[in-house]
Order: sequence, then C-alpha cells, then structure tokens
Amino acid sequence: MGPVSTAAGPPKLIVSGLVKRFATKDGDTLALDGIDLEVAAGGFVSLVGTSGCGKSTLLNIVAGLDQPTAGTVTVDGDLVVGPGPDRGVVFQAYSLFPWRTVAENIAFGLECLKLRRAERNRRVAEMLSVVGLSEFAGRLPRELSGGMRQRVAIARALVGEPDVLLLDEPFGALDLQTRQSLHEFLRKVWLRTGATVLMVTHDVGEAVYLSERVVVLTRSPGTVSEIIDVPFGRTRGPAVRREQRFMAIEDEIDDLLRARRAS
Amino acid sequence: MTVPVDSVPAVDAAEPEAPAPPVAVAAPPGHRGRPLGTLGRIRGTLPLRWRLILGAVGMAGVIVLWIVAARATAGADTGVRVPTPAATWDALRELWSSGTLSADLAASGERMLYGYGISVLIGVVVGIAMGAFPAAEGTLEAPIGFLRYIPASALTPIMVLWLGVDEAPKITLIVVGTVFFNILMVADVARAVPRELIDAAATLGASRRRTVARVVIPHSLPGIVDVTRINLAAAWLMLVVAELLASDEGLAVRIVRSGRFLHFDTMFAVLVVFGVIGVVSDLALRGLRWLVAPWDR
Repeated sequence: MGPVSTAAGPPKLIVSGLVKRFATKDGDTLALDGIDLEVAAGGFVSLVGTSGCGKSTLLNIVAGLDQPTAGTVTVDGDLVVGPGPDRGVVFQAYSLFPWRTVAENIAFGLECLKLRRAERNRRVAEMLSVVGLSEFAGRLPRELSGGMRQRVAIARALVGEPDVLLLDEPFGALDLQTRQSLHEFLRKVWLRTGATVLMVTHDVGEAVYLSERVVVLTRSPGTVSEIIDVPFGRTRGPAVRREQRFMAIEDEIDDLLRARRAS
Repeated sequence: MTVPVDSVPAVDAAEPEAPAPPVAVAAPPGHRGRPLGTLGRIRGTLPLRWRLILGAVGMAGVIVLWIVAARATAGADTGVRVPTPAATWDALRELWSSGTLSADLAASGERMLYGYGISVLIGVVVGIAMGAFPAAEGTLEAPIGFLRYIPASALTPIMVLWLGVDEAPKITLIVVGTVFFNILMVADVARAVPRELIDAAATLGASRRRTVARVVIPHSLPGIVDVTRINLAAAWLMLVVAELLASDEGLAVRIVRSGRFLHFDTMFAVLVVFGVIGVVSDLALRGLRWLVAPWDR
C-alpha cells in the first residue's frame, strides 16, 4: 500500500491517501491527489517538485496548519489534527519574532511548554551552543545575517525536542555560499539530535545532498511521481557532490521534473 | 538620441550641429546622467542641518504672515482684527500669571485624560479582538461601520439630555468621537501581523490566548502608539465641542469668553497654547513609540 520504509527504523511519520482540493473561481482545483509517504524515525526525506506542485501545501498539512480534504497524517500512530510542538517547523524566512532576542526566540516554545525558567535557560544555552550562536544570544533578529536567522529558526524549532522537524524551503532566500554552509550545519544538527526530518525544496542538489530519500512530486494534480533512495551514507561530506553517482541522481530527478513540466 | 560611440559627448546641447572635431584631438570629459542633488531629490533624505534650517524658515514664514496680517488690520475697531505676536505674548503671560491658564489646562487635561484614555482602552481591546478573530470582525464590522459615520458632535443634545451638562457628557463626547477610529485602525494594525509569525507560534505550541498576548500584541504595539497619536487630533476637536456645552474652565471656554469681550489677543494666546500642546504630545508619543519598540525604530 504505502511505500516501504527505510532500514533506519520504523515509520515515524505516515501520510496516507492525502487529497487537497481548493475552491477557486474556476471551480475546484485538485492540489494534492492521493499522496502516500513515510518517514522513518531518524530519517531525512525531501520533497522536490516544480512550483505549484503542492509541496508546501503538503508540508502545511503535516504541520497541522492546513486541513486535508481526504486522507490522514499520523505521527507515531497519532492522528494529526492541528499544529503542535511535536512537529517543529522552519519557514522559508521572516518567521522570527522581531521584538525578541535570539535567546528569547529560541525560548518561545519552552515557555509554551510551561518549563521553569532555570530549565528553559539551560536548554536555550545548550541549543545556542549547538547552533554556534552563543555570543549572539542578546541580539535582535534584524541585527543578524539571513543565514544566522535561519540557524535561530532551526534552533527554535528543535529546542522543544519535537518528534519531527519540518522544513519549508528553509534556505531558499539565502545566497549560495550561505546555503552550502547551512547544509553542513543542518547535517550536523540532524546527526547530533537524531531528528526525523521532512524537507520541502526546489533545489534538487540540496535534496540529494541532505536526504536519505527524495520524493519527486508532479503538478496539477500533485502526485508522487517517483521515490529515489540516495545511496550515500549518513556521514557523507561535501566531496560527494562531485561524485559521478551524485550527479547521475541529480540528472535523473531533473529529467523527471522537466518531463512532467513538458507533458 | 542615438549617438555614435566614437563621437564626442555634447558639451552644450543648445549648440546647433557642432562640427565633429578631428579624431586626434583629445576631447574634455563630458557628463552622463542627471545629478540627483540633495534638496531636490524625490523621496531623498534631508540632512539634519537642512532640516533645521528649513524648519526655521517655515516657522519664520508663519510669523511674518502673522505680523503682516496684524499690521494690515491695526486700528480697525470691527471686522477682521489680528493681534500682533507681541500682544499675544503679553496676553499669554497675563493668562499664566493670573493662574487662569493652569486652571484651564488642568480642566481640559483631565477631560482629555479620561475621555481619550477610555477611548484608547476600548480601541485597543476591541481592535485587537477584531484584528485577531474573524468572528469578532464579522460581528462588529457592520455596526461600527454604521456608527462611525454619525458625527459625534451631532450627539451633543442627546448627551445633554441623558447626562446633564457636567463632566460626564463631555468625557462621553470625546470617547464617542474617537473610539470608532481607534477600534478600526487598531484592528488594521493587528491584521498586519504576518501570517508566518502566527503559524510559527502555533507550531511551537502556543495557545490562542498566548498567541494574542505574545505575538499579536507585541507586534501591534508600535502601530497602536501611532494610531493613538493620529487620533489625538480628533480628540482635541471633540474636547472643544464638549467644552462649548457649558463649563467654567477649559481652553475652549477661555476662547469663547474672550470672544465676548473682543479680546483677540487672549483668543490667539489660547490658540497658540493648543498648537504647543499638540506638538508636545505628538513628540511625546513619537518618543513612546521609540521606547516601546526598539526592534521597529
């Protein structure tokens, strides 16, 4: 029925038979049509697709920010009915609270969990050192570069130790150099925290480099066109990007996306 | 406008058909583009020095006009009469030393404090509710849209019949004259909170109440201060309408009383006081905005 899960562990996140229909003035639009998807515990799965394929809609439904027309999302067997701290989300940009310092931004979720101040401060300090921003704890977001802001956003999403980390084109607004350094950063954080990650991106190289598995979505209606397992280990480094196999996978996905656009 | 690449840039556009100079002669460098300038640049930033100079010129212009008007009407017993700035200044000092001005300021200030204070309080609570919750917006938009087009000054007779001629109708008039603008403008401010911040709070586990308290209100704070600053002018307008009802003390009362005795200098002195209060409160609220929102300076 659903796709086979990876060897990394039992499925943590299961998306099953997901349909999303939008009412538009030209009648209903089918944005997602029967999406099945699994992410293993501690796994890293990316969704790639051309713009308008509904990949962000899919992520929003998993986050609980949007309701599916049909189908279900479960985390550890529990049905997702709305947003919650068990699923941390990193948005594309500008989602930090501009009036809060870096440390206060990271603490927001811990405040919601009603943690005591001492415990909160300890976990914020720990997370600040994980993301390498300890010396910027007292800065406001506007005093940081775009890359640093996204590191804060990732720290804020992870500090509450969510079951799943959802990334919605997290590096799309950044320049190439910053993006590549954040790739290394995200890989480090992922391996260190053991988080289960589902990422949406339109950058094929990024998806292949970071993920264990890439799900290619087609547009109108959005369906899963192909699932590609990435054969590199969890401890891969930037050098893998120059390997023949890496480029072959990139080309394969590019061809899939282009073929779908042409048809 | 196509000019051959090797031709010399035109030094003087008015010069008709300048003969092409020999190729060997080195031409002086020309100019490309139109300089943007400092003072004339559209939406440019004015240097502080120029800001002060131009501000002084503007104020001096008003005073010069005033002096000219005073000269022109000097000696007239009836009709248009404008007191000189000096006479106005003397009247102002007289108002101050007799204690009249401080009593008027206290009376008007108290009415403004209660009236506008209540208006801002209601405006913030209802405005945030409307901006944050579509159900509150749906319920209140139609009635408020209707009520705000009723000129508050037209309610004066009703207020007198209901509440007498004491302080209550005056304070009520200030509230009624400003509260709907405060509500609708605060609602706009609250609606401007980015969707992503609300979503981020929800995914971090914030309840609705916490999202309003920790996201909607902090983000709206500078905007709310701006709204109170803008609508303060309407509150002064309503204060004058209210004081014309019946009062012993108050800035507007002073103008009416002085008018009966044709004391133009005193009337102008009170107008100057109104202007000064306006500028001071404007600056104070700008300062408050700067203080409450260091992130949005």
